[in-house]
Amino acid sequence: MTIALRSIHKHYGDIRANDGIDLVLRPSTVHGILGENGAGKSTLMKILSGYVRKTSGTILVDSEEVDFKNPAEAASHGIGMLYQDPLDFPPLTVLENFMAGQRMKAWPDRSLFRKRLAGLCREMGFDLDPETPVVRLTVGERQQLELARHLAAGRRVLILDEPTTGISSLQKDVLFSALRRLSSGGATVVLVSHKLEDVETLCDEVTVLKKGRVSGSAVRPFSTGALLEMMFGREPAPPLRKGHEPGAQALFLEGVHAHGGRTGLAQCTVKVNRGEVVGLAGLEGSGQDVFLRVAAGLTRPTRGRVHVSRKDMTGRDHHAFKTMGVAFQPAARLEEGLIAGLSVAEHCAILERSSFSLDLDASASLAQERIQSFQVAARPESPVESLSGGNQQRLLLSFLPDDPVLLLLENPTRGLDRESVRWVWERLDAIASNGAAIVFSSSEIDEILMVSDRVLVFFEGRIIHDVRPEDTDALMLGKAIAGRV
Amino acid sequence: MRTVFARMGRPLEMGLKTALAGVAEIAASVLVVVAFTTLVLLVAGAPPLDTFAVLVKGSLGSWSKLSHVIKVWIPLTLASCGLLFTFKAGLWNIGVEGQVMMGAVATTLAMRMGGPSPLAGMVTALALVAGMAGGALWALCAGFLKTKAGVHEIFAGLGLNFVSQGLVLWLIFGPWKQPGIASMSGTETFDERLWIPSIEALNLSPAALGMAVAAVIVTAYLLSSTRLGLYLRAVGGNEKAAVLFGLKPHAVMTAAMLCAGGLAGLAGAFQVSGVYHRLIPAISSGYGYLALLVVLLAYYNVWAAPVVAFFFACLNTGAIQLPMLLSLDSSLSGVIQGSMVIAALAVHSVSTRSRRSRG
Amino acid sequence: MNKRLVFVSALVLIVLSPFVPRLAVAATKPYVFGLLLVGPYNDKGYSQAHYEGGRYVEKTVPGTKMIYIDKVNPSDRPGVTIVQLVDDMVEKGARLVIANSDDMKDGIREAARKHPNIHFVHVSGDDVLTGKAPSNLVNIFGRMEYGKMMAGFAAALTTKTGKIGYLGPLINEETRRLASAAYLGARYAWEKVIKRNPNDLTFQVTWIGFWFNIPGVTADPSQVAKNFYDSGFDVVISGIDTTEAVMVAKQKVNEGKKVWAIPYDYVGACEGGSSVCLGVPYFNWGPGYASLVKKSMSGHWKPEWIWLGPDWKDINNPATSTVGFMVGDALSQEARKALKDFIAGLASGKVQLFKGPLNFQDGRVFLKKGEVATDRQIWYLPMLLQGMKGASSQAK
Repeated sequence: MTIALRSIHKHYGDIRANDGIDLVLRPSTVHGILGENGAGKSTLMKILSGYVRKTSGTILVDSEEVDFKNPAEAASHGIGMLYQDPLDFPPLTVLENFMAGQRMKAWPDRSLFRKRLAGLCREMGFDLDPETPVVRLTVGERQQLELARHLAAGRRVLILDEPTTGISSLQKDVLFSALRRLSSGGATVVLVSHKLEDVETLCDEVTVLKKGRVSGSAVRPFSTGALLEMMFGREPAPPLRKGHEPGAQALFLEGVHAHGGRTGLAQCTVKVNRGEVVGLAGLEGSGQDVFLRVAAGLTRPTRGRVHVSRKDMTGRDHHAFKTMGVAFQPAARLEEGLIAGLSVAEHCAILERSSFSLDLDASASLAQERIQSFQVAARPESPVESLSGGNQQRLLLSFLPDDPVLLLLENPTRGLDRESVRWVWERLDAIASNGAAIVFSSSEIDEILMVSDRVLVFFEGRIIHDVRPEDTDALMLGKAIAGRV
Repeated sequence: MRTVFARMGRPLEMGLKTALAGVAEIAASVLVVVAFTTLVLLVAGAPPLDTFAVLVKGSLGSWSKLSHVIKVWIPLTLASCGLLFTFKAGLWNIGVEGQVMMGAVATTLAMRMGGPSPLAGMVTALALVAGMAGGALWALCAGFLKTKAGVHEIFAGLGLNFVSQGLVLWLIFGPWKQPGIASMSGTETFDERLWIPSIEALNLSPAALGMAVAAVIVTAYLLSSTRLGLYLRAVGGNEKAAVLFGLKPHAVMTAAMLCAGGLAGLAGAFQVSGVYHRLIPAISSGYGYLALLVVLLAYYNVWAAPVVAFFFACLNTGAIQLPMLLSLDSSLSGVIQGSMVIAALAVHSVSTRSRRSRG
Repeated sequence: MNKRLVFVSALVLIVLSPFVPRLAVAATKPYVFGLLLVGPYNDKGYSQAHYEGGRYVEKTVPGTKMIYIDKVNPSDRPGVTIVQLVDDMVEKGARLVIANSDDMKDGIREAARKHPNIHFVHVSGDDVLTGKAPSNLVNIFGRMEYGKMMAGFAAALTTKTGKIGYLGPLINEETRRLASAAYLGARYAWEKVIKRNPNDLTFQVTWIGFWFNIPGVTADPSQVAKNFYDSGFDVVISGIDTTEAVMVAKQKVNEGKKVWAIPYDYVGACEGGSSVCLGVPYFNWGPGYASLVKKSMSGHWKPEWIWLGPDWKDINNPATSTVGFMVGDALSQEARKALKDFIAGLASGKVQLFKGPLNFQDGRVFLKKGEVATDRQIWYLPMLLQGMKGASSQAK
């Protein structure tokens, strides 16, 4: 199926998310859509998959003009989209999720679907247990399930939005080889990403978006420099790492066990000093999430003790940790970090905690300050859910306290482009230099190696490695993450 | 200054086109709602035009009718205002019905204890406060069940509604029964001095009306311009994130429940002191549940809620005329109410969806 | 301006506005009287009897017109008050308003005070006796205890098991009086007609809590009747406004049981249940209402407490008798004859049932040997009588 997009516009008020985009997607081709955050990639793909309606422009599917009003219409044309956060039903099992949305009788024959799922998994090299509840899967496995579902439903155009975020490199390899196989079988595969590496590995053809327009395109073999220039206008420098002088003890976990997440946390004893930047590496959900929440007082350990600044804080709530100078920011920005429905200014107003009656003008000017100093593309009165992912992340960072003792950040640069990542770490570096301890998790080994003073590697709920970056490298870390120490 | 302009800029930019679209949407909504309601009436075998006419005339046709509409509007508005607090905090306070009842019980208790003393006015005022306290305490029960025991507020509320209905019946048939009788007609009527004072000629209690209007204004102020309102919306919007912003969701929820219960209790207090002048088994008149519909139809907007409540009060009052003039069952008004809510919500959701996809 | 607000106000205006001027009050000016019915006007029971009484007035007193509203109770019409309904009726031109139920007592008194120029009738009340009534309010009721005695009499002659159930509404003086009258009628038949030991007669009263079923609030009368029949009671006398007892009896007969029922209030209450219906003690409000309406029209209104009995010449004469007993198809010929004699005895005064020695349920003396109860003693019966089972008051 060949899809041609002609002069696609999408305007949100006076913001032009897509500003006249032309694009042709061909069968048997993996087409990369590259661009930094807010370049208009997701919007364009949501238009193509019927989730968002375009303001103007033409979409031709095999020369037939279409105008999708909803995802179902796009699906009936064989177009399916895999979102960054999979759209599935977590309490149901893999098999039930697989069945959902497919044509079936009132009392479907489960074994038939089981066979079909098994067949697809074999073909694609996936390893999914049909009876596991989806809530227990990793993001990567959920993605595989979603892909299988699309294939079973006969989708011939597959759009993947940032599919390599939050999955292991092993899962990435599986995914990529599956996509290659699909593409050579005649499917049209679209990979939306801001990661050069992904695009370079997988794609046959690349279109680069910048500020809602096409800034260039290329076919394999790619020139990294050229692509970067199309994305940013210039090549960004890699993030800098300055060594920090470790200060007084900020955090001390002593034999901590805790429930939660996929694996829980077991037998964790770690000290972190002020001024230290500690990266938590590991497959997503290997205990880093629980570690950060225990250290933030959000999850209570079942065993062991938690000390902050040499004070025993075991069993205290998050508010007590907060007064000790601990700040936590979750990875799920809109789910856990920000309050949908409230504006940027109202978020600021909550943090102020001044008088009983609100001074919205004061909060708005405060919000304006934060917005400017953290380069958030928003207005004080914008509802946070209207911001793009990257802007939400910047906004969250702008809410960090001024002189914290301990910052606990879960995937702080997730979904940010290189430029933004660099900018964020400059900020965080400055905070660390002022004597704060920073503990962060990330699924990017490169990032961890570049910014950390220390790396803790998690595997199945345990810390199996505690190294300095200069004593290791990406390969060793990758092995450790996969459990091969 | 810049921020003020930034905030004003948006509505100004919306311009004529959007305004026209808005008017069209309202017109379409009204059309759909009227059409759907007419259809329901036809199915029910009622002549639609006459039914509408009777409803209007029966509610707005004379001052005495309007005054009865206001008598319904007052408790309904009070309960609706209360629900706004809990809805903003993301709580489904189904227990509002029981909170109205317990407000009525507490008011009755206070009036029985106070008696028709020379300070009757004082007793009445205290009884109203007692009503608020009664409702608030009852709401606190649901709040604690939610925050301490992890019982979802819908189940806690429903359970407590049954308990309070049982309590009301027990009081009427037991300790507070009229001498010699145990009857559904309720407790002994209070001395007239204990009634909420009203202007006889108008059949209207300025005090009660003032309370309801004040409740709307105070609710609007608290929700939009105070820290309490902001915290409620924050916890309602995202409980987890609210914790990270330093809020204590349980405390905020409890505060919401207290506000809701207090206002619902005041509604019950008014039912006792201003309408029935005694405790009767159906003292809440179902206004708690009706208020849920009001707030849903008002789409959680504090200024729309009293308007919707007025509309419902009109329906409620006008419906009494149906059996008298058209020999129709007056429960038809409930059907009309229901179909209007459904139609209006449907139109709203369709228009929101199309707006979303239009951008 | 909020969009939602605009929307809702527009909705109210547009839906309502075009119709306001229509529907004027009728042109001619008949004498209008209003009727407030506690239950549905077609309940085949208490409220229908009143409704037909009103229709009778319309037919027999020229120039009168009835307006009515039924289901006047806080469960069916939440938020609606008696005063509000009276206001409305007065607006519609009513000169006299009749409230048919005990529980409207407080509301109708309040309304009477508010509208001193309108005449009010409270059925079954005692405000005139207690002196609480303003001068424009009268009380009226029928001497239903006679009807209930006949019901009890018929029940006792029919029962095979010696167990009679009484399906009671709520507990007050009126209902205690009527249940006791039924018991006295039953005991008389048992002891004097078929000559059996009064201790072998079981007379159980079960109260549901209101005049009719309100789901979730009252006990379900169908369930109560079922329980009676399932536990050996073969005759159920209904004291409530509606006909569940007959319906359940019919079901039980269809299941092969031999059971009977005696409904209450409305002359046609046996309709559709002739196979189980032993008869019905009923009210005939026509004559009483007609006389009150005439008094009101002619200016002879005075506060009074009226307790109208059967016309002993013909208790089923619709023009004269306020209380009657319509024999049902299921009553045996033998029993009919005995009942006829019984009625004759009541009429002549030879049979006096509220006559000592009679004790209360708790053993206290109600009437000494030979003592005949006064109207007030009967009206304000404080407790059920000895020999009856069931609660005398709700408080425990």
